Amino acid sequence: MASLLSTSPALSATLAYTAAPRCSMKQVNSFSTVLRASIQGGLRLVPKIHISKAATRTSPLSQRFRTRISCSIAQPETLAIVQNTIAKQLSIEESTVAPGTKFADLGADSLDTVEIMMALEEKFGVSIGEGGAENIATVQDAADLIEKVKSAAA
Amino acid sequence: MFPYMRGASFTMKLHCFDKKFFNSSPLLVPVQLPCRTETHFWYVLPDEVKSEALLSKYRELLPQSEEKKVDSMCGDELRKGALLARALVRTTIARYQINTEVSPRSLEFTTNIHGKPEVRWQHSDDWLPPPLHFNISHTSSLVACGVTMDSPIGIDVEEKQRAIKNNVLSFVRRYFSGHEVEHLSSILDPEVQRQEFLKLWTLKEAYVKALGRGFSASPFNTFTIRFGPAKEGSFHLSGKSNSEESEILVKSLDSSTHDTSTWQFALLELAGSHYASICRRKDIAPEGKASVPMKLKVWKTIPLVEDKIVSGTDSAVIIGGLS
Repeated sequence: MASLLSTSPALSATLAYTAAPRCSMKQVNSFSTVLRASIQGGLRLVPKIHISKAATRTSPLSQRFRTRISCSIAQPETLAIVQNTIAKQLSIEESTVAPGTKFADLGADSLDTVEIMMALEEKFGVSIGEGGAENIATVQDAADLIEKVKSAAA
Repeated sequence: MFPYMRGASFTMKLHCFDKKFFNSSPLLVPVQLPCRTETHFWYVLPDEVKSEALLSKYRELLPQSEEKKVDSMCGDELRKGALLARALVRTTIARYQINTEVSPRSLEFTTNIHGKPEVRWQHSDDWLPPPLHFNISHTSSLVACGVTMDSPIGIDVEEKQRAIKNNVLSFVRRYFSGHEVEHLSSILDPEVQRQEFLKLWTLKEAYVKALGRGFSASPFNTFTIRFGPAKEGSFHLSGKSNSEESEILVKSLDSSTHDTSTWQFALLELAGSHYASICRRKDIAPEGKASVPMKLKVWKTIPLVEDKIVSGTDSAVIIGGLS
């Protein structure tokens, strides 16, 4: 039943974006201890912590992007696997599973959503938890959540 | 053969209906509100709604924001299902004739803090809104709405033939309670296991939706639903029912929650194609006597066109609960 899914704007991670991939990997690693603590307290806390952390970066490039919101953190490969998993579960074309598409709009009911979460947990070797599924509105949210949980487990 | 013929007669009816329809306001046959011990269950089969004119009439019942949501669904079938769900809930609630101001189009909806949809009644000094509760569920081939008075309600429907993409036992070990895992593991036939899993899923869904606190507030592994032995005189629905019908019980596994003995369930086989679960509070009789069993009325309907009571027929077979 799709009605269970959140219809409010999804909690997207805000992350200071830097051009160099190496820098963003460092950021992810330095965030990992913060993420681990915040996941225990509930994923709600994560966006707040990201903002304050970004503010302490000294690189001019990251400061310029400090106030950027709704920036996805999922790696392209992660997103691709998530899209493929969702398409298989719902028996639809992968092309209809665009990142911005809402689960509800794809006709996913609650059983589909939980099946997708389980398939993703198995594929990525992570544990999402029931709270995670509830805050996911779009395909991108699912990919971002996987990325967060992957980093925390790293 | 029969479903095809039924479809043909409905299409004919709709064709005759169209001409009248354009010249008059939507037909809303009033329905009496359920009493406290009664549950009303309405369902539509999208395949029986073929008239484009009728679908346009449904659209006219929706405010712009809801129409946008319907149109954001990906694909014609999904859009039609979403449109039917909105049309069903709006026309059904309006038919209960809460007051003369209420029409399908005028109804406003909101959500509680956990996201459960509810009616936003227009308050005024001299009018108290009725304690009417509803809940919707749908699949691609069936749209349903349950209605109660003075009791939260949750419903869930699933296609009987629905494939489970993951391994059923892995899924159940990950998400269900220990007792439920044991029960499903003991079923050796994979097809029977799949069916029992689906029945249990719909019951658990209906319960969580009745609680209205969202999926994460009531994780599926924190409560057990099981079938108990049939109670004598445990159902008040005359007509067909499965002879193996038994009581459905829920038990909370953590101490923090609610009194689970106050919830009652019904599990049905609908239209030969779906499992449907209903969960609502028991109505506790004032003198402290044993609670009254749930009375259930089921209608197959086409909003604005016609409905047919199907409780006690092959279209609504009780396979568990009602006590």
